[in-house]
Amino acid sequence: MLKVSNLTHQVSLETDTLTILQGVSLEINRGESVAIVGRSGSGKTTLLGLLAGLDTPTEGTVELDGAVISKLSEDERAKLRAQRVGFVFQSFQLLPALTALENVMLPLELGGVESPGKKARELLERVGLGERLNHTPRQLSGGEQQRVAIARAFASDPVVLFADEPTGNLDNRTGQAVSDLLMALNREQGTTLVMVTHDERLARRCARQFNIEAGVLSEPNVQRVAEPVS
Amino acid sequence: MAASRKLMSIRRDWRERDVRVVLAALMIAVATVATIALFASQLQRTLVTSASSFLAADRQLEAENGRPIPERWLDEARNRQLETGEMVEFSTMVFGADNFQLVAIKAVSNEYPLRGQIEYQREPGQPRELVSQGPAPGEVWINPRLLRLLDIEVGDSLEVGNLQLTVSGLLVREPDGGFRLSALAPRVMMHVDDVQATEVIQEGSRVEFVYLFAGEEASLESYYQWLEPQLEPSHEWEGVRDGETFSRSLQRAESFLLLGGSLAVMLAAVAVAVASRQYALSQRDTVALLKTLGVRSRGIGNLYLKRLGLWGLAGAAGGLAIALPLYWLMSRILSDVLEREVDYQLDPAALAPALLTALVALFAFAYPPIRRLRNVPAMRVLRSQPGESGREALPDMVIAVLAVFGLVWMYAGDVSLVLALLGGLALLLGTLALLGWLMVLSLRKISGGGNAWRLALVGLYRHRRASLSQMAVFAMTLMLAATLILVRTSLLADWQAQLPEDTPNHFLINIAPDMVDDIDDFWQERGQPLDTLYPMVRGRLTGLNGDPVREAVTKDEGVGALNRELNLTWMDSLPADNEIVEGEWFAPDQTTGVSVEAELAGRLGLQVGDRLTFTIGSEKVTEPITSIRTVQWDSMKPNFYMAFPPGGGLEAMPATWITSFYLPGANKSALNEFSRQYPTVSVLEIDHIIQRIQDIVQQVTQAIEAILALILAAALVVMAAVVSATLRDRQREGALLRTLGGRQSLLVRSTMLEFALLGLFAGILGVVAAEAAVWALQFRMFEGQFQWHWAVVLPIPVFSAIVLALFGRWQLRPVLSVSPMLLLRRLE
Repeated sequence: MLKVSNLTHQVSLETDTLTILQGVSLEINRGESVAIVGRSGSGKTTLLGLLAGLDTPTEGTVELDGAVISKLSEDERAKLRAQRVGFVFQSFQLLPALTALENVMLPLELGGVESPGKKARELLERVGLGERLNHTPRQLSGGEQQRVAIARAFASDPVVLFADEPTGNLDNRTGQAVSDLLMALNREQGTTLVMVTHDERLARRCARQFNIEAGVLSEPNVQRVAEPVS
Repeated sequence: MAASRKLMSIRRDWRERDVRVVLAALMIAVATVATIALFASQLQRTLVTSASSFLAADRQLEAENGRPIPERWLDEARNRQLETGEMVEFSTMVFGADNFQLVAIKAVSNEYPLRGQIEYQREPGQPRELVSQGPAPGEVWINPRLLRLLDIEVGDSLEVGNLQLTVSGLLVREPDGGFRLSALAPRVMMHVDDVQATEVIQEGSRVEFVYLFAGEEASLESYYQWLEPQLEPSHEWEGVRDGETFSRSLQRAESFLLLGGSLAVMLAAVAVAVASRQYALSQRDTVALLKTLGVRSRGIGNLYLKRLGLWGLAGAAGGLAIALPLYWLMSRILSDVLEREVDYQLDPAALAPALLTALVALFAFAYPPIRRLRNVPAMRVLRSQPGESGREALPDMVIAVLAVFGLVWMYAGDVSLVLALLGGLALLLGTLALLGWLMVLSLRKISGGGNAWRLALVGLYRHRRASLSQMAVFAMTLMLAATLILVRTSLLADWQAQLPEDTPNHFLINIAPDMVDDIDDFWQERGQPLDTLYPMVRGRLTGLNGDPVREAVTKDEGVGALNRELNLTWMDSLPADNEIVEGEWFAPDQTTGVSVEAELAGRLGLQVGDRLTFTIGSEKVTEPITSIRTVQWDSMKPNFYMAFPPGGGLEAMPATWITSFYLPGANKSALNEFSRQYPTVSVLEIDHIIQRIQDIVQQVTQAIEAILALILAAALVVMAAVVSATLRDRQREGALLRTLGGRQSLLVRSTMLEFALLGLFAGILGVVAAEAAVWALQFRMFEGQFQWHWAVVLPIPVFSAIVLALFGRWQLRPVLSVSPMLLLRRLE
């Protein structure tokens, strides 16, 4: 499903070159949930960007659902994202001028789905915001905004969902509720989940965990742990 | 509403501050350019028709030989779809019950006047009316002064030759009256069909038949082509003459309006550029997000292109919605001043520049930064990417500058204007670079601290790139506004100087040589001294260097001087407002030579040393040109194309004398006494014409002030656009300063100081650049003398410092009203 081999990413600075990722390889199967854990500056966000095709690596390949995305053009990657990838961001990234409903409708409309309003409404009801359809992000709390973002992420029926610190901007309780929702939806839809976090508890809810430190990826305990029921 | 369509909607866009600035700038640009262009084209048409109404037609054919022209000439004109009219002018005695008086009769046909209107009064003291037809057969309209001179009233009868006519009204002003020195006053107007019955006109009487023509310019031209070979020397074909009194005032007003329009275009372009760059920056997150959602670069390009198109439509529609009522108002004012209807006409040629301005401003200025949005990396959603360097924007700027100057060129049609403005801008940017270097050098060592001044200077230094680019925009804006203010000031001063309070408003014509001293004394005694008295001899220019002048002068087309008798004079000293441009004025005892007016010399190709032959009656006088001089035609004093020295060949010719003088309205009754004492002298009253010119100048001035206000509004929009561009950064910085324990008052003082310094520098730069541009413009467009304008120049930097300091204070509002933590989170 997602196959990464020997991924290296470097950034040129004025005086020298900074290596952010070094020889990263991993393979993720369809329907798996994976957490990548690391401290700030360890390279985990860069890795997520490369996996999702938001950026291209200096070396190595990323193969997503059969397509080598590191070899695709920006436009081809955009098409791939529109059809198969969903995102949840730490800072929600909702468009402030659109209502909750309109934010969720956006990817559906971009994908040419007929009557996008219906599906968007269903999804918002599913995440518990059926009463807040016409509120703009500014009128919603952080947890509510992230729930809208989750609804939007699942709107296009992605095969893989990337989440970047999805609870990073939320308090513990809200974070817990949001991660419950994310996991539940992931299970219902059979989506592959790749999540970057520094929250060990959240990471443990995923089937596999990777550590990343100074740009090097490792999988400490290769054991399949069933998700605890919360 | 569908979300993606909502993304595209104007209403949504309007909520974004930067879009509002772009739209406001566009609307002001379209409004200003459209209003100015419409009004300028109106002025142009008014100019032509005003000048035409001086002839009461588009063209006149005068027969000075005392014989009517062949009827088939008029038939031919009518065949060519021209309107025609006729009038007969002669002098004769008229008789009231007890008195008699020499008058100048103008007998007109039903069609008179073809252009302009007659102003008349039913009775003394009644309101003046504008009518398009002269008196009916059996009636006369007379100059109001005749009532007193003849001791008659409206309704009485007046004897003209053998015919009794009824005085049915008072003639206040005839459209073709005022300015012809050959006209004799006072005037009596009658119907042309009555002329025969008066039996005044006998073989050999001095009478002038005048024919009026009006119609399409092309028909007039082709008719003249047909007519010209058949004309005799005594026939004079007259079109709209150059140098007519207020045509120059209106032309300058038009130049000013065009300049104003050009500056409006540039200001709006700057505003659009700044605002759309800011908008593009603020859209990068949205674009990155759209890309992660799978929209391709092309899709993004299309999305924003459509949006630009929408803005263009909204800007153009909004601009026109402002422009049309404004133009309507201006043409109302104009028609009030001119005391006649001016057509409210939406000239498409005048609307085109406005729409083109919107288009160019959008695509040369707004599109480039927005087009680059396509290149925003999708990765931006996870981590902000380095901003774009200024380098990629450079080619865009070159294109944009070329586009806007092309626009100004197309608009004002004047290369020197474009070059003057470009030069001013280059000077401005050069000085700015120097100033930037000095700033880095001098401010580097200052470190921050609890002092508002230090904080302000450190602020300027730390944001030196932003400070300099803001200063560039402010200075440019101020330069454009200052240029306009300066030109307006000198234009108005120029007009006032042109027609001072005591401008001569009466001419005395036909003064016999032996009366000159008596008349001089007459007015001296009444405290209204005469200007210089000039002898006047009527003659034609017939020869150049021994050849007939029609053959010698190749470009004789439209040279009226060859077609009509010229007023020749002799004078010993050069009139104060004349200026020698070539050759030398007559030496004290010189009796040979002739001085020629410069424009005529230019049109005829005359040089100092050419020998001119004049035919005066049956005599010929030949003299070499010794000097060429300029003449102030609108000085309201007697002016002459040809001046001879005293004691020359002209003195032997029969001459009458002419002069002008200023007579205040309160003393007008002295004219009656004068006319009784010197019945043969003609008095030409032009006080109402001068009044009219002063009115027009005043109203055009108001129009100019209105345009200036529009331009200054545009300048403020630009300033707002630039200041709002840094709003978020400033607020975040202010919040941080407060978090770190800075007092509110310190924050307020240092921010206001920083902006005040920015405004002061920008103001000084802008004013210096404006002076440079005006210096260049003054030579070409407004023919004035350049001088520093301290009174205008000094307040501008002070003003801009104050305005910017207030802008700065205003920006800080949100920083001061909420807790810094809250603000930092909101601004994240």
